[in-house]
Amino acid sequence: MNDAFPDHPFGTRISRDELTGRLAHATGWEAKNRLLVQLGRDLPDWPADARTDDRLVSGCESRVWLAISRQGSTFALSADSDSRIIKGLLALVLTAFHGRSANEIATFDLEHWIGELGLLRFLSASRGNGLRAIVLKIREIASIQQ
Amino acid sequence: MDSQCPAPFPAGFADTVRSQFPLLQQNPDLVYLDSAASSQKPQYVLDTEQAFYTSSYANVHRGSYALASAATEAFENARTAVAAFLNVASDEIVFTRGTTEAINLVAHSWGSTLRPGDEILVSTLEHHANIVPWQLLAQRSGAVIRPIPLDQAGQIDLAAFHSLLGPRTRLLAITQAANATGTRPPLAAMIAAAHAAGALVLVDGAQGVAHGKPDLAALGADFYAFSGHKLFGPTGIGVLFGRRDLLAHMPPWQGGGEMIASVSFAGSSFAAPPQRFEAGTPPIAQAVGLAAALRWLGTLDADALAAHEAFLHSRLEHGLQQLRGVRILAGNTPRAPITALHFDKAHAFDVAQLLDARQIAVRVGQHCAQPLLAHFGISSSLRISLAAYNTPDDVDRCLAALDETLDILA
Ligand SMILES: Cc1ncc(COP(=O)(O)O)c(C=O)c1O
Repeated sequence: MNDAFPDHPFGTRISRDELTGRLAHATGWEAKNRLLVQLGRDLPDWPADARTDDRLVSGCESRVWLAISRQGSTFALSADSDSRIIKGLLALVLTAFHGRSANEIATFDLEHWIGELGLLRFLSASRGNGLRAIVLKIREIASIQQ
Repeated sequence: MDSQCPAPFPAGFADTVRSQFPLLQQNPDLVYLDSAASSQKPQYVLDTEQAFYTSSYANVHRGSYALASAATEAFENARTAVAAFLNVASDEIVFTRGTTEAINLVAHSWGSTLRPGDEILVSTLEHHANIVPWQLLAQRSGAVIRPIPLDQAGQIDLAAFHSLLGPRTRLLAITQAANATGTRPPLAAMIAAAHAAGALVLVDGAQGVAHGKPDLAALGADFYAFSGHKLFGPTGIGVLFGRRDLLAHMPPWQGGGEMIASVSFAGSSFAAPPQRFEAGTPPIAQAVGLAAALRWLGTLDADALAAHEAFLHSRLEHGLQQLRGVRILAGNTPRAPITALHFDKAHAFDVAQLLDARQIAVRVGQHCAQPLLAHFGISSSLRISLAAYNTPDDVDRCLAALDETLDILA
């Protein structure tokens, strides 16, 4: 990942299993939202000049920026948003996809995992478009650049 | 709440109203503060629609049998009820799908007379439904859209409005109350000035209609549009009022059954208004439901309702002023009971999520009014809107939840 994007722990120091466990402990919608806020805090903000329009993912209720670059056989991902809760969701997305191969990115069933975490409401008709748009974009870039 | 707040007036009003809304009864913990998007429905409206389907339902204006006559009579009685509510004549009422379709009807039908260079004044307070149809008309006709700017407070800039009026002004498109901030523009003065300049006025009543019976005879609007679903009525039904002499000269905009006098392949002649503008089978049961909603509204004491809404709105805004980092958009303009918020340190989406976790339903986003949010230099806001069935407890729970939410996000 180029230097413009700050280092983040998701997908490396923080694993999917760890997040699955933490979300399982957060019972209730309020607790899950609070945890997302916390995860959002752990995902560092991008510097202002990295938040460029060409990195914006459209179709989200808040602004979401995404950067993907190939590093050997895997992909490095970084993401940012002006919403804390969306940043928390981005932390989940990064955990699933950061440092993975194009094949892993194409085949991992993120929607299913989000469901397991009890966050299906974020995939519902009115809210889901944003998260879906992000995942589609990641899969598309990974498949083109593979 | 502290002691500066006025006492609820009149006591018990909201509880009486609320008890008539089955969705609120079945969800006692729900705090519904999104009535500007759509209101909940009283049992009476649901029952009336159901009874119509079970006792009087058939298609209208067609059958020669008794049931069809009963259905037609119920549908036309609904038109009469709407006309009485607006203080205009029945043949000036066109049923549509909603406000959006009513405005599109005017843009297509009346708009077909526009010439290149004709001007349409559209205010910056408008919902996209009162912007985009005019933009499409401008593309078709060569007419020009002139946006009416706002002042610092978020109110219509009257001086700028007056300077935009001219000999080419054909129409003023203006809301009765802005859906994104609640702001009520100075309608009477604007309508008078537009008429003096020889222009017509279309008033978007989608938000205004829910907060006081509009007297169109007194207001003097040439066209007025509203949706049933924001007025305790069903979805899929809306109203266009058009002045009789205007409708009489307007061409049809959709073709089909019901709107013709005679059809042959040599040509067709069209029915008189309002049928000329109601091609196809109309939303029959929805019109009957809307009439029921108007009857239901008529059972509420109008002064008590206005006082109740004003009380809740001031309780809400008084409480919001105690919270740090919260800005009320257009807070110093006269408004319908709508409060739009911007947060210094939190994203409106996050706040709404955390409110949702406490069963508090508010609206977040651009509210289909991007030019208005752009005026305030923001890309999204959180909107709280109040209705007859809201209670002081709803307001207090929202305030307490906001306080905690802003803490979590700080
Ligand atoms: C001011 C205003 N105009 C028009 C509309 C559009 O109404 P409808 O979607 O019922 O056609 C709305 C609805 O949000 C509104 O608030």
